[in-house]
Amino acid sequence: MRGGTFIREARRRAGLSQRELAGRLGTTQSAIARLERGRAEPSFARVGEALQACGLDLVPQLLPLDEADWSVASVNLGVDPDTRVRRHQAALRFAVAGRAALADARA
Amino acid sequence: MPEPDFSPERILGALARHGVQLVLIGGFAAVIHGSPYVTTDVDVVPNPQVANLERLASALRELHARVWTAAEPNGVPFASDAGSIAGVRIWNLVTDFGRLDLTFEPSGTSGYEDIIRDATHLTILGAAVDVASLADVIRSKEAAGRDKDRLVLPVLRRILAETDRP
Repeated sequence: MRGGTFIREARRRAGLSQRELAGRLGTTQSAIARLERGRAEPSFARVGEALQACGLDLVPQLLPLDEADWSVASVNLGVDPDTRVRRHQAALRFAVAGRAALADARA
Repeated sequence: MPEPDFSPERILGALARHGVQLVLIGGFAAVIHGSPYVTTDVDVVPNPQVANLERLASALRELHARVWTAAEPNGVPFASDAGSIAGVRIWNLVTDFGRLDLTFEPSGTSGYEDIIRDATHLTILGAAVDVASLADVIRSKEAAGRDKDRLVLPVLRRILAETDRP
């Protein structure tokens, strides 16, 4: 994910305007806007500074790559929102039916 | 009484018919954005203006909304009026069509005006609704920091990275 997306999330979470964040970082509002829009890619260190200026910290963590859930999500991205909701409802119905069947089997 | 079938489009449809201004957020908004995780409730952020809460109260009466509690999953009746609704920041409700949570200030946000600016107006299975941006869904889940939120964040962030390219 882009560093600018993280900065926008942190800024909004802190309730800051782009101008206020720029003031804290000693830069300009337009520079913050460029970062958030992906027109410029900040360094990892710069992202950390911006987050700290929002009162937040970035804690990197290395985890094994797990593609299982992403494989389903990437298929969802290929269909429209109505279809996503229909598939969700079908999955939910199946889960509820499975739970009921399990309860019956235990009874 | 068995738990009602979860029919989010009927909950959202009733709210829309009554002209309630709200933003859909949480797990169901994430589903609309492509999340693979199943959820069993609808989370909405209402516009807190009194006139809107009056419309919301009317919609909740139509939906036979009751307050969900662990001791009484079928819900406890409550006075559905604008004043009562405004007095509580988070409502966990059960309706004729499943669970509905009202939240005035989701974690990491300042509420309706904060979230509506990047929301997208969609019609989902016939129900018109403003859906929070995926970035705002992530912001809220990240700030909430519950285990169930942390679990889904990596995939939501990856969806955002795929769909939020400049």
